[in-house]
Amino acid sequence: MEDGLSTPVGTRRSFFVKTTVFISSLIGFSLAVPLIGYVVAPALRRRNKEWVSLGQTEKLPVGEPQSLDFRVTVKDGWQESQTTKGVWALKQADGQVTVYSPICPHLGCGFRWDQQDRLFKCPCHGSIFNVDGTVKAGPAPRPLDTLPSKIENGDLLVQYEQFKSGLAKKVEL
Amino acid sequence: MASRLYQWIDRRLGLQPLEQTLLNEPIPGGASWNYVFGSATLFLFVLQALTGMFLMVYYVPATDHAYDTVQYIQQEVWGGWFVRGLHHWGASAVMMAIGLHMLQVFFDGAYKRPRELMWIVGVILLAIMLAFGFTGYLLPWDQNAYWATQVGINMVGSVPLIGDFLVRVLRGGETLGALTLSRFFAIHVAFLPATIALGIMIHLFILRRVGPAGPHDETKAKAGSETFYPRQVYMDAVVMLCVFGIVSMLAINVEFPLADKANPSDHTFIPVPEWYFLFFYELLKYAPGALGPLATWLLPTLFFSGLLLLPFVDRNPERHPSSRRVVLACGLSFLIVVFSLLGISLRDLYAVPKRDPSVIRGMALVEQFNCHTCHRIHGEGVNVGPDLSFVADRRPDREWHIRHFKDPQSVSPGSFMPKFPLNDKQLNDLTNYMLTLKSG
Repeated sequence: MEDGLSTPVGTRRSFFVKTTVFISSLIGFSLAVPLIGYVVAPALRRRNKEWVSLGQTEKLPVGEPQSLDFRVTVKDGWQESQTTKGVWALKQADGQVTVYSPICPHLGCGFRWDQQDRLFKCPCHGSIFNVDGTVKAGPAPRPLDTLPSKIENGDLLVQYEQFKSGLAKKVEL
Repeated sequence: MASRLYQWIDRRLGLQPLEQTLLNEPIPGGASWNYVFGSATLFLFVLQALTGMFLMVYYVPATDHAYDTVQYIQQEVWGGWFVRGLHHWGASAVMMAIGLHMLQVFFDGAYKRPRELMWIVGVILLAIMLAFGFTGYLLPWDQNAYWATQVGINMVGSVPLIGDFLVRVLRGGETLGALTLSRFFAIHVAFLPATIALGIMIHLFILRRVGPAGPHDETKAKAGSETFYPRQVYMDAVVMLCVFGIVSMLAINVEFPLADKANPSDHTFIPVPEWYFLFFYELLKYAPGALGPLATWLLPTLFFSGLLLLPFVDRNPERHPSSRRVVLACGLSFLIVVFSLLGISLRDLYAVPKRDPSVIRGMALVEQFNCHTCHRIHGEGVNVGPDLSFVADRRPDREWHIRHFKDPQSVSPGSFMPKFPLNDKQLNDLTNYMLTLKSG
């Protein structure tokens, strides 16, 4: 140490050092928690699903799949937009309605209903499904995805969901 | 573990001498609570940089999205209100810290030879900090941001000859709009940070070359020096913790909601600048007609020239306050003028009845839920349900309104008003608005 230059020693010195380390950690921790949460939170947030009305079930013909369109408000962060989605609705003889996601479980194309063959056909890779959704032919690894639906006062309500493609099990995105 | 890692790196990079230089810097007269203001300023600057970076994660600098994204940060992002709060109050705190830092340097005569350059760089850092404040104020793109910036830019227009041109450059054209917002954003988050980082480095470099001034009292200064580490570092850390505590408390407890979205056609809005520009805002009220334009550019120019020239005008090498009565008296008079103007301005501001932000949000909810399709309020809307123009005269009870909004039929049997999906905050805002609807 140079002449005239002093520095605290012993317990006094270690008090200053420890307090400094403690304060730095305290500030660092108090900042890190909100800042990390702030960035990570959107990744953990689940979309809240809403029930969307598809109209009265009495208008649906029994055993004939119908393509139904509806408007949904899509929240993308701070942006909100209206978009049209379509689903396939199949009314059963007992009045219950099965709603299929319009997306092929193979790789995500939109499939069609072939009225003549009475089969759902995907134009992309040739997956073919029976009217009950089971796979008849082609590379599709699982049956058509059904969407949660219910009937209230004759009104068909559905929750729009999307699923991972290419898996044998139905896994929500 | 950590020390072994350090030794491993040290064997390769030879950090020991650097560590010695950084930590054992001699502080003449020993560590002191007087020297904490520079560190506090640096700490707050780092806090601003950090929170600013995080705000950019969600902020979009375009006129059609800026306001929505700030509102999104404030209301929907987890912890967003806290990050924005830290940045907002941190901006005020950094101005105060700079003010105190400059006062200490001024009072101690630490700007004198051989530290003139350090003072000059410091004054430039102050100017950059004010530019940060000015450009950042526009970014939320609310009414206050828009109109305060309008006034600020127009003041630049009073500069003779080139004023008009400067205004157009600042705005990026004829009007304050999309181009203004994006260039203010670029200045705020890229140009100024790069410049100030360089400035801070030079400021600290000079400090290390010239050394700290130490006490103005000769006998104390001669009593010997103390190493920067650990006692001065400890003092700096304690003050940083206090500053961080204060800024966090303000961010948590003091709400500063956005005004309405910027509306260039609404000329009724009265903007208020940040408090550190307020004294100047007040001063402009006293500059009569022809002197007005002079006040808007000449005074700031004189102020900064005065600061820059101070070490050359005040060449008296004596640092003890008792031998510098004239200079200190000048400084004191300047402070008295500034604080009187700030005081008058604040008094006038609080004399203007301010609308409670909660009431403003309540009014927005009335629009959002289309209450006017059934209720009339001061001539607007349809009289299907009761007219609400003076509803607080009939129903002054807050609890009644809250219960009524939650379930109208519970307090008003037979009512066909639907239940609206209101959260507690919205219930509170809407009720606050209802309670303002009274005669007289």
